Amino acid sequence: MLTKRQNLLETIKGGNPDRFVNQYEAFMCQPTKYGMIMVNPYVESGEQLAPGGTIKNQWGVTISWPAGVPGPFPVHDAEHKVLKDVTEWRKVVKAPNLDFPQKEWDKFKPSIEAIDRNEVFATVFNAPGIFEQTHYLMGIDSCLESFYEEPEALKELIDYITDWQLDYAKLLYENFHPDAVFQHDDWGSHLSSFISPAMFEEFLVPAYKKLYGFWKANGIELIVHHSDAYGANLVPAMIEIGIDIWQGPVTTNKTPELVKQYGGKISFMGDIDNGVIDRVHLVNEDGTPIDSAESKAAREVIAKEARRAVETNGKLYYIPCCTMGGPESSFRGVYEALTEDIDKLSKEFFK
Amino acid sequence: MSKIQEIATAVENGKTKIVAGLVEEALAEGCDAQEILNVGMIQAMDVVGAKFQRGDIFVPEMLVAAKAMKKGVDVLKPKLATAGSASLGKVVIGTVIGDLHDIGKNLVAMMIESAGFEVADLGVDVPVAKFVEAVESDPAVKIMAVSALLTTTMPAMKDTVDALNASKDRARFKVLVGGAPITQDFANQIGADSYAPDAASAAKAAKALV
Repeated sequence: MLTKRQNLLETIKGGNPDRFVNQYEAFMCQPTKYGMIMVNPYVESGEQLAPGGTIKNQWGVTISWPAGVPGPFPVHDAEHKVLKDVTEWRKVVKAPNLDFPQKEWDKFKPSIEAIDRNEVFATVFNAPGIFEQTHYLMGIDSCLESFYEEPEALKELIDYITDWQLDYAKLLYENFHPDAVFQHDDWGSHLSSFISPAMFEEFLVPAYKKLYGFWKANGIELIVHHSDAYGANLVPAMIEIGIDIWQGPVTTNKTPELVKQYGGKISFMGDIDNGVIDRVHLVNEDGTPIDSAESKAAREVIAKEARRAVETNGKLYYIPCCTMGGPESSFRGVYEALTEDIDKLSKEFFK
Repeated sequence: MSKIQEIATAVENGKTKIVAGLVEEALAEGCDAQEILNVGMIQAMDVVGAKFQRGDIFVPEMLVAAKAMKKGVDVLKPKLATAGSASLGKVVIGTVIGDLHDIGKNLVAMMIESAGFEVADLGVDVPVAKFVEAVESDPAVKIMAVSALLTTTMPAMKDTVDALNASKDRARFKVLVGGAPITQDFANQIGADSYAPDAASAAKAAKALV
């Protein structure tokens, strides 16, 4: 039996996997929320945000996490926007400090050294991405308007953020020597990419070529990029910037067609929409199953979606997974139920 | 090309810096203010909405087109008021409590406004009581537009629509819902009057409701 790491590589390289890669299994290497390498001196230097709370992060962005929702959001009312005029970014935006004593990094190393890199990828998690950071600072409407109205100022800001991301990546590389990077940056809505492929090429491809180029030049094996959105029109650009796995494609992308068209150049991890499967708690807070008609019906939807996904996408260049940007669900038990279904499908499809 | 057609082209292409001047020129040439609004702007934004639905243009193009229209409307407003022109009605919009997504809601607000409605935006994370207060305190409100982008906030949408349906003024307004996880079935289940899957459809749905 292949290890989780070997099985993933067989899958994305068009080899001979012996089962479906089961969601995030090959990236889970640490005892953190998402099972990835998520803590380091920079992360620790900021206020920690828990559901129900609000903080100001190291970029000065106010972030709120309403209780009961999957993740945090920037607050962009007039009072809280960091950058109100993109042309003023040099005066307003101050990248966070990354200068930490070596001993602060060293304390995380035993946990990294304990990773069985034959079994899984030592995977660093990073969010928000370059585009997200721009709209975290100024609000998404203003950010998107700036692509038209103040393109030069926006490009400068993107460069500034990219340079900081590169400095951060260098520290992660020097201290942790990860095998994989899991990077968040949502590039669209459910129905369309936020910007056109041409604008994406002009503004974001150069930035990501620098960032992902750094990782590739330093021997990273996998770039996994999360965007739980429509982005079929951006796949050529994703390939150009070096993404190995796009995590999060929603079904509006017609992922099976993308697998056929681009498999071998990039792989797809998702196509099981949380918007469809993640609607009802399946277990109680103590982990015991909920025995109700509603939870049974929800369980059937998960099984049906898992089957549809593997039947239509196939065994290669595709990893069955929820579209959520980490190994979790909004409703208790959903992620685990999907994991269970994918295991069952592996037994059926890989006899 | 007629001056009104020039305005329409400028709005469609998001030429925010020239629309106000073109509208002034059109008025000076004797064009009717209402026609400038209807043909030069509202119809132009219909074209923009259709292009967005087809995937020919993207969010920035919609945003700058709407901004261009606003610049023109600012010039037209005094003339429209003098002529006694009225909007299609007032729409109150907001994202339900617990949900901080704003882009979808903002696009819907923009397209509805561009279709000729007056829009009051309650913002994101809006408590149920605030939606109810907004409609009950203003007899001009004809549509309540409610957005939710998360499966976890769909119950809040149901709570909001339940409260709106229980309002003493329910006969006076319609409820329009939308957001990524929302479907026509869900809209029917919770008793909304209409559902729109995207911003351009929301503008059409709003027009159909009044």
